[in-house]
Amino acid sequence: MQLGRVVATEFKPNTPHQFHFWTAIDSPVGIGTIVRVDGSHPVGGVIPRVYGVVVEGFSFTDLASAMHDVIGHDGDPGSAGFAVTERTEVRLYSAAVLRQIPEEPLQPVPMGDVHLADDMDVAQALRMDAYLKEGARTGIPIGLYSAGKMNSPIYVDADFLIGPEAAHLNITGVSGLATKTSAVEWILSSIFAHFPEQKGSVAAVCFNVKGPDLCFLDLPGELTEEDRALYDTLGVPPTPFQNVTYFAPHKADGFSLNTLRSNEALGDNVEPLTWGLREVLQFAEVMLNRDDVDAKADALIDFIKERVLDREYKDASLKHTHRVRSFADLESWFRDVLESLEESGRGDTWKTHHVATIRKVRNRLSNISTRCAGLVTDDGQPSDLPWGSFEDRAVYVVDVALLEEDAQDLVFARIVTKLREQLEKRELGVKHVIVFVDELNKYAPGDGPDTYVRKMLLDISERGRYLGLVLFGAQQFRSQVHRRVVGNAATSLFGRMDADELATPGYATLSAATRVKLATLSKGTLMVRHPHFTQPIFVTFPRPAVLRGRDGAERYPQAADVALDNAVLRSLRRLDKSVTLAFVQQYTALHPADEVLRARNTTVRTRPDNVKSFFSAQFRSIIPAQPMSSKPVGVPIRLLPDDDPYGF
Amino acid sequence: MSTTSDPVPMPRDVRAALKAAMRRAPQARVVVDAAPLERVSGDAERPSLVDATCVEDAVVRAHTVPGERHSEFAAFLDGTQHSQHVGQYGRAPIVLGTIAAGIRARADRKLRAWQAPIVETRVYVPKAYLPPDIFATLAAELGDEALRDTSAPDSDGVIPAPHPVLLLERAKYAVSNDRDRAERALAERWCASEHRPLFIDGGIAGSETVARASCAIGVVKSHRTLYIDGDAIDIVFSLAKGERTSVISIAPKHRPAVHSWYLRLRDPAGHDPLWGVVRVEVAETGDVARRADEVSRWVLTETAPNAMPDARWDKMAYGIRNAEEFLRAL
Repeated sequence: MQLGRVVATEFKPNTPHQFHFWTAIDSPVGIGTIVRVDGSHPVGGVIPRVYGVVVEGFSFTDLASAMHDVIGHDGDPGSAGFAVTERTEVRLYSAAVLRQIPEEPLQPVPMGDVHLADDMDVAQALRMDAYLKEGARTGIPIGLYSAGKMNSPIYVDADFLIGPEAAHLNITGVSGLATKTSAVEWILSSIFAHFPEQKGSVAAVCFNVKGPDLCFLDLPGELTEEDRALYDTLGVPPTPFQNVTYFAPHKADGFSLNTLRSNEALGDNVEPLTWGLREVLQFAEVMLNRDDVDAKADALIDFIKERVLDREYKDASLKHTHRVRSFADLESWFRDVLESLEESGRGDTWKTHHVATIRKVRNRLSNISTRCAGLVTDDGQPSDLPWGSFEDRAVYVVDVALLEEDAQDLVFARIVTKLREQLEKRELGVKHVIVFVDELNKYAPGDGPDTYVRKMLLDISERGRYLGLVLFGAQQFRSQVHRRVVGNAATSLFGRMDADELATPGYATLSAATRVKLATLSKGTLMVRHPHFTQPIFVTFPRPAVLRGRDGAERYPQAADVALDNAVLRSLRRLDKSVTLAFVQQYTALHPADEVLRARNTTVRTRPDNVKSFFSAQFRSIIPAQPMSSKPVGVPIRLLPDDDPYGF
Repeated sequence: MSTTSDPVPMPRDVRAALKAAMRRAPQARVVVDAAPLERVSGDAERPSLVDATCVEDAVVRAHTVPGERHSEFAAFLDGTQHSQHVGQYGRAPIVLGTIAAGIRARADRKLRAWQAPIVETRVYVPKAYLPPDIFATLAAELGDEALRDTSAPDSDGVIPAPHPVLLLERAKYAVSNDRDRAERALAERWCASEHRPLFIDGGIAGSETVARASCAIGVVKSHRTLYIDGDAIDIVFSLAKGERTSVISIAPKHRPAVHSWYLRLRDPAGHDPLWGVVRVEVAETGDVARRADEVSRWVLTETAPNAMPDARWDKMAYGIRNAEEFLRAL
């Protein structure tokens, strides 16, 4: 469909990377439209063909000045509509070149007819033809490009989205318009449906950092007919994720899950995320202020990790033998050390550690136990992600939305480190893992202190693709995220943007019209940057086929806090429906809470065949008290036997 | 000379042929950067007053154009010309001239080309001041149709003096004549196939066919010749916006008679007396007053949108400006 003609003037010439064309007033061209130019004269025996995307539009008439129009209507705007002839008006567009065929010699765009790009043209223009070949197809549908009556699926290259050529995805958009979370949910669905078999397995670990956004990925959401048609066109099943497991720490009480997905009806795939003191101490650095904890403190922490934790600790200078598995045990050890030091009168150093350092480390570590209450178990046994047995096309949601900031950092740092370690050793169970982190503004800011989490994100961004560790990051203000994090994201998506953000230098390469379009994008529309696309492309994507967080939170309200016996009952009934409250209460009535929780945790971790007997076996046997008789009974003196030769 | 709907090849061919001819005449000099002759002062017509017969009233007087404004014009005809001094051979200037004429038809308030425009390019030289072999060379390269003699004797049989300005003016007038002829040809084509009113930029008396066609309306912006005299001059000068003069009959020698009147299109306050005044020409008709009012209403309606930034916007209809822009782009 011809819709325009290329024009060039001395003042507005065409270049190898930009050209201008005019169209009829009613043409379906707009900012983001992909067009094809057919040249008139052959170059090297080939008629040049140029693809471009519209980046700017102009409209003007044959008037030289607005004043002329005012004079023409005697200053009365109302009389303007009565003119028998409409002024000649032009729609002039500037397009950025996407591709020239032949690619050499690279010349200014020639005069020629301008056509609306069809499916084939779009594939050529965006160089998608290279990765949509039968037999070597690595395209992942990311959305639908539409112009006029043309609708073309847009694919990104899995080699550049998941690796190894390039990797990572970054999404920017204002909050509240369902852009970032929805886009990630849609893209994960698309990846799971289209990730090429020959490239191996892929799973996703999503950190839910706010609200119920990612809490209902396994439940179907409402889709319109248009959405279903989009799914159909893009070849992605309109279904929620089939294999989702949620992980959330406990609340401070140690038995209620600290997540918005705590409704009893959804408990089947929610697992507690609890770590022992060892796991926490490995990442104590995350929680401690670098300016505060010096090398001396580091040495003591290392000593505790290596010599004290999870082992029997005997020392002649101490009063007791210790086995430190929880923060309470650790506190007891500290107390013993300090008391021994004071009582011994041997100065102010214990095993080369100064008493002030000991007090400081004690103080800081105790503080962690307060901030991470619920995440750390007293029995020292972690309940963790299924390390070593990750499943293909599975989503693991780690809900840290209700945790304190420091605890979020700790969870994030440890999980990512474990992912990296296991991917390096090829022990994770899948070949690729996508890690989704929202709020990169907060976790990898461009300025501010160099935190452990930011260092980790930089490490994933720069080296993750070699391991199969892929970062899908999202944020509201891309300009405030560390440059190396966003810079290493090969694919970038932009939803509706804040005007102030668009005014930052990072967007200077976009035309004014493109920036305005970004500031007014409707829901479900994204601008895509991808290594194969020489210019950003606008696409629409369907509503995710999962229950929206807000809807899920309304339909499945958060469970109210329950008592210990009910919490244990819930946990055990997931393993054995015959467990009753009365059964649980036998133990909660007799045993301290920490012992009951330890028994529960062990049972849940072990998943025994006989839940009741296994649970019962976790408790020390307690001999029932013997009833006292009301009256003492005298014991008769035993008579000697008659045949006793020594008796009297 | 050739007429074509594709205007580009023809001028290129004439230009190429002229270059070839000049290469064969070593004494010919190329002139570069000369201003278009249309910008050079000088006019063929001297300002004059011609008394015409008033056919509507006993004497010329002002009439307010009655009725609601509306326009029946279906199309606008205009022509353009461009002539340039491109070479010199001795006393003889060599001028390259291009003329174009086109009609812009109106549909749904938008103007579009009606049939193919006429575009012609020719070389204008004073044969009297060129060696015969050089003129023959030019004629051989260009053909008779693309070559014009600007030294033809005038009505008195006098060959123009070899004054360079005079010879250039003669070339310019020759180009202008060719443009008039192209416009007449298009107007006749319209009158032969259409009945809807055609707005013609200029008079209609140049063609018998057009001058007698009821669909042809000429609107003259230039007033070098005023067809009034005596008190009538004051009447024209004092016309208010939306007023016209009585209809007069103009019957020049060797041309068909037409009916005409002056019409003030815009408020003259602060301007010269002829600001916003046009002279309308129509074919002779019986009911002169009714026809004058009807056509005046159409012409007045065509004042919006205005023809700015053209300097003659006070008298020019937008359709004519559009036609000029269209022809300029060819």
